Amino acid sequence: MMNAEATRQEPPPPPDRAAAVETFRYDNRIVRAFAIATVVWGVIGMTAGLTLALQLFFPAANLDWPMVTFGRLRPVHTNAMVFAFVGNGMFMGIYYSLQRLCKARMFSDKLSWFHFWGWNAIIVAAAITLPLGFTTSKEYAELEWPVKIAIGVVWLAFTANLLGTIVQRREKHLYVSIWFYIATALTVAILHIVNGLEVPAGLWKGYSIYAGVQDALVQWWYGHNAVAFFLTTPYLGLMYYFLPKAANRPVFSYRLSIIHFWALIFIYIWAGPHHLLYTALPDWAQSLGMVFSIMLVAPSWGGMLNGLLTLRGAWDKVQQDPVLKFMVGAVTAYGMATLEGPALAVKTVNSLSHYTDWTIAHVHTAALGWNGLLTFSVLYWLFPRLYRVKLWSVKLANIHFWIALLAMAFYVVPMYIAGITEGKMWSKFTADGFLQYPNFLQIVQQVIPFYQLRAVGGSLYILGVWLMAYNLWRTARAGQFAPEEEVQAASFRAQPAARLEPAFSHRWLESKPMLLTGLALIAVLIGGMIEIIPMIVIKENVPTISSVQPYTALELLGRDIYIREGCMGCHSQMIRPFRHETERYGEYSKAGEFVYDHPFLWGSKRIGPDLQRIGGKYPDAWHYNHLDDPRSTSPGSIMPRFPWLGAQPLDTAPLPARIGALRRVGVPYPPGYESKAPAELNQQAAKIAANLAAGSVKAQPDREIIAVIAYLQRLGTDIKSAPAPAAGAGN
Amino acid sequence: MSQLIDKLGGLEAFGIFSLCLFAAVFTASMILAFCLKKPFLKNMGALPLEDEPAKAESKNSPPL
Repeated sequence: MMNAEATRQEPPPPPDRAAAVETFRYDNRIVRAFAIATVVWGVIGMTAGLTLALQLFFPAANLDWPMVTFGRLRPVHTNAMVFAFVGNGMFMGIYYSLQRLCKARMFSDKLSWFHFWGWNAIIVAAAITLPLGFTTSKEYAELEWPVKIAIGVVWLAFTANLLGTIVQRREKHLYVSIWFYIATALTVAILHIVNGLEVPAGLWKGYSIYAGVQDALVQWWYGHNAVAFFLTTPYLGLMYYFLPKAANRPVFSYRLSIIHFWALIFIYIWAGPHHLLYTALPDWAQSLGMVFSIMLVAPSWGGMLNGLLTLRGAWDKVQQDPVLKFMVGAVTAYGMATLEGPALAVKTVNSLSHYTDWTIAHVHTAALGWNGLLTFSVLYWLFPRLYRVKLWSVKLANIHFWIALLAMAFYVVPMYIAGITEGKMWSKFTADGFLQYPNFLQIVQQVIPFYQLRAVGGSLYILGVWLMAYNLWRTARAGQFAPEEEVQAASFRAQPAARLEPAFSHRWLESKPMLLTGLALIAVLIGGMIEIIPMIVIKENVPTISSVQPYTALELLGRDIYIREGCMGCHSQMIRPFRHETERYGEYSKAGEFVYDHPFLWGSKRIGPDLQRIGGKYPDAWHYNHLDDPRSTSPGSIMPRFPWLGAQPLDTAPLPARIGALRRVGVPYPPGYESKAPAELNQQAAKIAANLAAGSVKAQPDREIIAVIAYLQRLGTDIKSAPAPAAGAGN
Repeated sequence: MSQLIDKLGGLEAFGIFSLCLFAAVFTASMILAFCLKKPFLKNMGALPLEDEPAKAESKNSPPL
């Protein structure tokens, strides 16, 4: 229902106020819907996370069921927490605060409900497709192209509703929260489109249009800014609205909020390459990422201090009020995470922390602290207002707060210790110059106790969420839901003309939503363009290596299975130029080695060892046994079993479509290769089956495991040999 | 144009250029922020506190 319709249903105001005052209603139904979805998805997403945590010290917990193995379940957890829990939480806060800050009902109720049902249908689609193995492999962008298109359509509806509400507002100037909402809507759309560009190779399979280094840069430009513009800017908007309300104090410094906003959105977009330090990404891009990441401390802490100082004179309330407690906890966690993030972006620190559990600790400081605690505070603040009743139990909410804090301590402290342990043990040499811990499993065994403690932390955090859900449910039962809230406000046109505002002042800008939107768009586009365009168009960024050739048909299908099983969630394919890495894994990775990798599979975490040079390191039979039961070849391994790979026949039907799609994104498969590929595939598979037979392993050549072995044996071998015959060579 | 971009050298200058760009944006936002008058800043800072409908407050205060 449009605002105009709501107004028509109301009795006419007194004649003397008719020209100036309009009566309308805020829509609380949509706020409640998003609030309930936030709690439900929070429980589901966190439970998936706890299941993963258990599997890391008890691999059999997956019951050898493909859909819940670590690799497939990990993106379910991350997507559920980011897009379902935080996403619904963000929309809950935006739909509540935007109406009140604009003094207007949402532009269109139909768009609101399309947004709600569309968004949650996408999450359901994610919860189905990801365990089935339909994934792009790109972190936080795993959903395949049909779902990606749906995300684009629903996001467009949200943006239209947001901007439409702003246009029909009754408050002339846009409050700082709304700037953050606008930046979120615009930037997420850009990130999603640019990173999501792929060529379909079937209904549930597509290949990124970018390859190797370029794909890595675009992905981490997206990945980092998903953190920035999905997990941070909308929540800063919520902080600027709900913190003053809960404290009943105006924001500490509106001036600071202006500098905070512009500096933050401008800087954030540049910082993505800090996820790729010491990789094959060119140095200039790494340096840009590092410098801008360090600069990011200033606006982030400006925002944090603005939030905490808003509580000046209200600290006594914090002792009693769980809402304020959660908010203080959230803003403090934001400060900690935004100080630690730039520190981790310094190359020296990153050389130790990257690929370790330190990153997991950092991510969860922000996720459990900033996003989690702020979401809980908004829920505790909103429910009593939506249901016009006091919170059922303030005591229980306070207990939830202390449990959440304890849970965070149990989660992040062991992860910090595990991360530093891993980093130090990976790089430790003996006095004679050999690796002190050449067996990767020695190091894994050291961190397992910390994985167990982490699971305790996760369990406590979920317990707190259950307590909150019960408290909110009892609150709702005790009260009466107010689906709409009738209010009056002066119409925009009837407001007295403000004195002439000087053009190009910020006050003037705050009354020009479209101009503000345009400037925010320019601010976020600049960084991305300066980093990404040269990376794609300047050839010197990716020196070619003549011996690097496209994957054969069997290797290609093996690579797709590797992606389906989520192997990149635990294994990197990027050897950094450090002595301890080249000693352990082999020659460091070069940009030219990945020119046919659509998508790149560099990974971001080493729960297991790097696989970039695994090709030829072990016989085929070792790989077969290892995939079938990792503990048979590697006692103490925490890798899941993949028995189904040896049982399931390899589906070669999609091969022509996949070769065609890869050719369209630039992989030089010769014309007509599709028709010759099956014979080549069978020949290579038969050879592997013969190798397995020689190693006392009976395997049929048409099983999936044969393709995975072919892919693994190819990894990192191109630069070891003279120019190899390409896939389909001889044609 | 494509040839020009393809042969573009001096990528090291990108860092300096980027920092100058940020300095410009930061300075502009500082100037804009400090040119604002106090009454406007006070009004805008208190905007979230204005929207509680009186009806809701009377039935629901304090909520916790």
